[in-house]
Amino acid sequence: MQPLDSRPATPEHLDATFAALADPTRRAILTRLAEGSATVMELAAPFPLSQPTISKHLKVLERAGLISRGRDAQRRPCILNATRLVVAEHWLSQQRTLWETRINQLESYLNSLKEQPL
Amino acid sequence: MTHGNLQAFDPTRDLLLERQFDAPPEVVWRACTEPDRVKQWIAPAPWVTVECEIDLRPGGMFRFLMKSPDGSEESANLTCYLEVVKEQTLVWTNALAPGYRPVGSIEHVPLITAIFSFEPSGTGTKYVARVVHKDEHDRKQHEEMGFYEGWGTCLDQLVAVTKTM
Repeated sequence: MQPLDSRPATPEHLDATFAALADPTRRAILTRLAEGSATVMELAAPFPLSQPTISKHLKVLERAGLISRGRDAQRRPCILNATRLVVAEHWLSQQRTLWETRINQLESYLNSLKEQPL
Repeated sequence: MTHGNLQAFDPTRDLLLERQFDAPPEVVWRACTEPDRVKQWIAPAPWVTVECEIDLRPGGMFRFLMKSPDGSEESANLTCYLEVVKEQTLVWTNALAPGYRPVGSIEHVPLITAIFSFEPSGTGTKYVARVVHKDEHDRKQHEEMGFYEGWGTCLDQLVAVTKTM
């Protein structure tokens, strides 16, 4: 399956990013990769999970465009792709701004009702 | 509140906002459930809401159409009420059309469920809004919480690190 490309955020990109983030093992993997690239073996080391299980997680992250696998067939290091993560965080903060704006406007509207109660 | 079956809040995908209003729950409720009142605040200024339709019951329609100031852009929102408990709880989703009909997907718009509670608080209202984004079926249970404690902080730090890259 081809990884999603890095054009501007579509709902599918956001869905894939959030699905990838919805798992604590994958979040821990991303945290480790933020420090630098690593091989599958290095990533698997901290977890009481089998390497095939870790590989399944890596596939989810790769399909979501959050990591790339290096070309070196021997070692295939995994590299963090920060763009998609930043896009998801940006979307969430955009949503938060939208809802905060709505609630501020609701509050203003409610305050205006004090002049002429319902 | 009837929220025993809500999943734990996930800050990577959900929003939680709270506000204390001076108005009592019955007033806040009307502001949130009467179309002419909803139109006063639901579009982020300078956009305006030109249409709003409400059939206030589970399965009923909550629809609103927002337009840009020059009228060249619009945002149509069609949602289905899931839970309506007068002056207490309001839940709607755009993942279902009215009549609970699944939509599958909406072009350019993520699927969300919005959950609002209205609690008496002194003479006013404690208003809580949760907006949740869709989940995937293969989400795993958190097993070794000790190892994953503070993942939220990790994620913040991770994003901070990515911003310097």
